[in-house]
Amino acid sequence: MRRIYRIDKSLESFFTAVFYAYNDKNAYLTSAEIFQPELEDTIFRLESESDKAERVQRTIYKTDPKAKREIERILRSNHFEREQIAFEYLKLVIKHGKSARERLTISAVRRAMDEVKKVGHEVHRLHGFLRFQECENGVYYGACSPDNDILELLIPHFVARFTNQAFIIHDVKRGKAVLYNGEKYLVVPAKNASFHLTEREKSVVALWKKYYHTVAIPKRKNLRLMKNYMPVRYWKYMCEKDADDLR
Amino acid sequence: MIDEGRLKILTDGAKYDVSCSSSGSRRKNEKDGLGNASFGGICHSFAQDGRCISLLKILMSNDCVFDCRYCPNRRSADVQRATVTPEEVCELTMDFYRRNYIEGLFLSSAVYKNPDYAMELLLKTVFLLRTKYKFNGYIHLKGIPHADKRLIEQSAKLVDRMSYNVELPKEESLKLLAPQKTKESILGPMNLLANGKKEFALERKNRTGITARKGTEKYLPAGQTTQMIVGATPETDGQILRLSQAMYRKFDLKRVYYSSYLPVVSDPILPNETVGLLREHRLYQADWLMRFYGFSSEEISPLDENLPMEYDPKCAWALRNMQFFPIEVNTASVEELLRVPGIGAKGAYKIISARKSCALSFEHLKKMRIVLKRAKHFITASGKFYGEKKQENVKFHLMLAERQENAKQLDFFTLLPSQAEEKNQILLSATQRDKEFLLNSSPQIASSVLSGQL
Repeated sequence: MRRIYRIDKSLESFFTAVFYAYNDKNAYLTSAEIFQPELEDTIFRLESESDKAERVQRTIYKTDPKAKREIERILRSNHFEREQIAFEYLKLVIKHGKSARERLTISAVRRAMDEVKKVGHEVHRLHGFLRFQECENGVYYGACSPDNDILELLIPHFVARFTNQAFIIHDVKRGKAVLYNGEKYLVVPAKNASFHLTEREKSVVALWKKYYHTVAIPKRKNLRLMKNYMPVRYWKYMCEKDADDLR
Repeated sequence: MIDEGRLKILTDGAKYDVSCSSSGSRRKNEKDGLGNASFGGICHSFAQDGRCISLLKILMSNDCVFDCRYCPNRRSADVQRATVTPEEVCELTMDFYRRNYIEGLFLSSAVYKNPDYAMELLLKTVFLLRTKYKFNGYIHLKGIPHADKRLIEQSAKLVDRMSYNVELPKEESLKLLAPQKTKESILGPMNLLANGKKEFALERKNRTGITARKGTEKYLPAGQTTQMIVGATPETDGQILRLSQAMYRKFDLKRVYYSSYLPVVSDPILPNETVGLLREHRLYQADWLMRFYGFSSEEISPLDENLPMEYDPKCAWALRNMQFFPIEVNTASVEELLRVPGIGAKGAYKIISARKSCALSFEHLKKMRIVLKRAKHFITASGKFYGEKKQENVKFHLMLAERQENAKQLDFFTLLPSQAEEKNQILLSATQRDKEFLLNSSPQIASSVLSGQL
C-alpha cells in the first residue's frame, strides 16, 4: 500500500513533496502524467509551497552541497522513477551525510549514482557532439535532442568557450532553447526554428566532411567501435554523418 | 580558404599519428578571445576506424627533405605534395572551432626545405592563432627534429602540448630506417622541454609561493607525449616498455603512444605484414599498469620477451606471483587491490569506499559491478573464495575469459594475422582435459562448455 505523491516536473514541487513525505515510509513520488496505481494505493496531488521547498533545499545543501547537485541531476534523467530515486537518495544523504554516495552496497545509492552518471555522461557527450551552423545574422545555431533534460547543464561550458559568439542551442525534443547574445543567456520555449545560413557555411561543412572521411585509417575500419562511442541517435544533427550513413 | 584537395593530402599525411587526446590543459578563455581547453579532453566525433576526432590533425606541408623509410611522405615517395600558409591553417581552425567540430589544432609538418624553416612555419602559425585570432583552444604541436632550440622554446610557451616521436625504440633501427634523424635530435628537445617546464614551475612557485594547479602552467600545460612504431623492427615488448618507463621518469611524459606497424609503403627492409592490433593492445595495457597501477616494466615483462597474447599482462604477472593471492577484499590495501586481475582503478576505489560502511560479500561485489570473471580466482570476500581451487587451472580460466571477450569483439580479432596460430598457442598451454574443450571449437562453444550450457 503506497501513498502516491503526484507532483510536476519543477524542483520546487519535488522538494515540497519531500517535505511532506520525508517521514512517510510508504511514500512514492512521481511526476509521470500517465500513472497506473496499484490496488490500495492512495493518491495525493501536491501544490508547491516555496517556503517548504526552500527549507529542504537548504538542509541538503548544508549537509552536502555535492549531493544537492546530484539530486538535481537525477531529476533531469529520463528514468520513469527519477523522483523516487532522488527521494530515496536524499533520505540517505540526510541520514549518513557525505558518505552516502560511497555506500554502494545499498541499492538505492547504486540506482542514484547510475542516474547521476548517465546524465553527466550525456552532458559530456553533447559538449562534443553539438554542431553549430552559422546564420546570416551572425548567430550560431545548434540543434540537439538529448535523452535527458540537460539543456540548462550545457550552458556554462558553451558560454565559457564561445564568450563572444552569439549562439542558440535548441532542444528540439522538449521544445526549448538557450539564447546567448554574447553577454547574457535566456532559456525560452521554442517549437520550430527558421534561419538563413551563410554562404560560407556550405563550404566549411564540405571541408569538414572531407576531413572526417579522410582522417580514418581504411585498414582499421571498425564501425562497431565507432557506434559504441557515438551512438546513432546523435547523428541526426551531426553534419559529417549524412543520410548515407544513417541507412 | 583552403581547398578540399590540399586538405585531403595534408590530412592523409597526418593521420598516422596516433595521438588524438585534447586533455591535460586548463587554458582559460580571455575577455575578447575564443575558446578554452577542457582538462579531461572532449571527443567531438568518431571516425570510421573508431578513433576519436578531437583535434584538427593536419600537416603544414608534406613536402619532405627527409627519407624515412616507413613514412608515406618521405622524399623518394611518389605522392602528391601540398603546402598551406599559416593564415590558411588559422582560418580553417577558427571555422571548425566556431562550429564546435573540434577541440583545437594538432599541427605537424614534414621537413619542408630544412628543419628550421619548417619549425618557423609552425611557430608562426601558432603565434598568429594565439595573437591575431585570439584563439585559446587546445594546440598540440609536433616538434621538428634538428630545429633550432630557440624556436622550440618559443613554441612551448604558446601551445598546450608538444611531442617528438621516438618512432623506433632502438638507435640502430632508427639509423636503418630514418637515416637523417638521430637519437639526439629527438631525445635532446624532449629533455629541453622537460627541463623548461620544471624551471617554469619552480620559478612560479618561488614567485607566488604555491605550486600551480596541474594544467594551468604557462609552459606546455598538457606536457609532452611521444609515439613508437611497433613491429617494423625486431625490438621486443620488454625493451619497448623499459624505454617507455625511462621516458616517463626522465621527461615526465604524459603518454607514450604505440602504433602497430601498417605497411603503407613497400620497402625491402620493412615487413609486409602488420603485426596486428593485439600486440598494440597488450602494450597499452602494460603502459597503463606502469602509469596507474604501480607496476614497473621489470615486473611486467622480462627484457627479451614479448607480452603474452592469450591474456593481459596483469594476469600474466599474477600467474607468476600466485604466492600473493588470494587477498581479502575487506582488508587489502589499494595497492594490493590494484594488482588483482580484473579489478581496475575505479573498481579498487569503489571497494575501498564501500567497505567503510559494511563488510563486503561476493554478492555485494557483483552488485557494485566489479567484474569477477578474472578476479574471483584471486580474492576472498569475507573469507569466502569462489574461484578455481586448483592453481594450475586458473591459467586456463583466464584464457577463456579473454576468448569470451574477444569473441564479442570479432571486428577486433579479424585483424589478427592468423587466428589458427593463436589457437595453437592456447592449445599448447592448456591441460589435456582442457584441450578436449578447445579442439575444434569456436570461442562461443568453448565458453558455453564452461558455463554448462552444452
